[in-house]
Amino acid sequence: MELSRLVWRNLARRKLRTSLTVASLVVAFFLLCTLRSLVTTLQAGADSASASRLIVQSAVSLFVDLPQSYQTKIAGVEGVERMSKWQWFGGYYQETENRFAQFAVDPEETLAIYPEMQIVEGSAEAFYANRRGILIGEGLVDQYGWKLGQRVPILGELFPHPDGPEAAWEFEVAAIYRPTQRNFDSKMMLFHWDYLEESVKASSGEAPGVGTYVLKLAQGVDPTAVMARVDALFENGPQRVQATSESEFQKQFVTMFGNVPFFVSTIGGGVLIAILLAVVNTMLMAGREQTHDIGILKALGFTDGDVVQVLAQQSLLICVLGGVIGLSLAKLAEPGIAEAVGSVFGGYHVEQSTMLFGAALAVGLGVFAGFAPAWRAARLQTVDALSSKE
Amino acid sequence: MNQGIDLKGVTKTYVRGGETLIVLDGLDLSMDAGRFYALMGPSGSGKTTLLNLVGALDSSDSGDVIVGGEDLARLDRGELSDWRAANVGFVFQGFNLIPVLSALENVSLPLALTSLSRKQRRERAAYALELVGLSDRMHHRPRQLSGGQEQRCAIARAVVTDPAFILADEPTGDLDRDSAEQVLELLRRLNKDLGKTILMVTHDPHAAESAERIVQLDKGRLLGVTDRAGAHA
Repeated sequence: MELSRLVWRNLARRKLRTSLTVASLVVAFFLLCTLRSLVTTLQAGADSASASRLIVQSAVSLFVDLPQSYQTKIAGVEGVERMSKWQWFGGYYQETENRFAQFAVDPEETLAIYPEMQIVEGSAEAFYANRRGILIGEGLVDQYGWKLGQRVPILGELFPHPDGPEAAWEFEVAAIYRPTQRNFDSKMMLFHWDYLEESVKASSGEAPGVGTYVLKLAQGVDPTAVMARVDALFENGPQRVQATSESEFQKQFVTMFGNVPFFVSTIGGGVLIAILLAVVNTMLMAGREQTHDIGILKALGFTDGDVVQVLAQQSLLICVLGGVIGLSLAKLAEPGIAEAVGSVFGGYHVEQSTMLFGAALAVGLGVFAGFAPAWRAARLQTVDALSSKE
Repeated sequence: MNQGIDLKGVTKTYVRGGETLIVLDGLDLSMDAGRFYALMGPSGSGKTTLLNLVGALDSSDSGDVIVGGEDLARLDRGELSDWRAANVGFVFQGFNLIPVLSALENVSLPLALTSLSRKQRRERAAYALELVGLSDRMHHRPRQLSGGQEQRCAIARAVVTDPAFILADEPTGDLDRDSAEQVLELLRRLNKDLGKTILMVTHDPHAAESAERIVQLDKGRLLGVTDRAGAHA
């Protein structure tokens, strides 16, 4: 069809401009897709959180520790089946860039509370038996090449080694887990609470505080009632606590530095508006340049609808091309991005709904951007268009 | 009814800078089908406006424009487009070829409005280009053609749908003498051999000699219609 050929040739008429417009669309759709995937990953993480787990933290802040003495009291609350202390260790491996989540936990309790950690190398028993043993995720094996039995030195920043800040804590890989859920962090290192406590006591004389208590509820128990009971237990101090569902805790953790979904959506919206204006501008320029050709088409007998089609198709092609490339790149970059943001956005994944949303957006953008020049072209009088010098 | 061109009391005005200009002033003119007419007159006499009205590129303020038996005022925008595609071929002074398409693609463009297959359209466009002597230039873009070749390509495009009317606005205005002569010869052949009704706007008395009848306009009014010998027709 001659008109389709005309559409392609018109796009090639200003190769640099068309290429730059497509390139800007590629960047915009890549960003949109990636940003939306961050939001959906957060949401998916919260959605996949277990309803039978509660997190107990200080009512003041996550950065304020709770006394160890609370463990016995909380364990006695009706509905609590199991519980573990968790403390963020905050160290790094060899270089300061090599940071990942390290927690001191009660090993047996933790593995019972988190069935999502499927041990694929070593064994739970080996982990329990070795005081310096660590349970690591496969993500760390992939990243650092650690093997079962390997000694792993970690430099503690929050908890310096009793021999001094230059000395590393020595751990040994006792077991490796594979997450059975996509959104479960595959780059955690868990080690014995007792090892942390002994070492900290040896240097400071005081037992370390507890970052959070993770509770596993008995089957059929109402989580809200347990939360209320736990909160009530420490209402009069010495330190008040806040018990939340795991899902709520995860959302709070990620949004500690602000409303991430809102922030990310705002950036995405800004990117979209900026690119929309750029594409509309490009299409208006293209439409003006083609005014004379539009006059020729109309003189030959092509209808207003035909010329609308020619201009709208150009806009649509540019947007769809940019959209397809941008979305494809976002999908291709998925493993890399997942690796880079895995510590905060565990299980980063570009969902099919995001791809479909992006594709619909590309078509919508194409139609919208092509509307103004197409409308103008349809209204042009043939004689005026033919006498145009543009 | 004459199946040629009939204009009855046609008036056309333009408003420029707040001033109303009367371009055609109650024009009555009748032109026979199958003849070659040259439309002459000084600048601003209304020649191109008349051509645009006959080709349905523009509409009159009042009066009737009946071309090939069709009263153009009765047709809406879409119907006028269809009518133009079926009945009129245009040849412009500035050639008006689409620069991003080859000669063959330009010529086959009007055929996209017909029910012909892609192959048939190509064959017919190639044949039209052969008729105007451009077989060896059919894959060239307009900028790769000389002015005379561009105009011959435009003529091929004008005739490819086999319209009854060829409307030419200063078709030799931008051409050298030899190219102009080739274009005029083509128009004469279209009239004689294929029976096309040709209406050609020109300033050039030599070009006007190619026509059977010369229509003289001045200030939007008809001065007269003469034959080549100057006798009133």
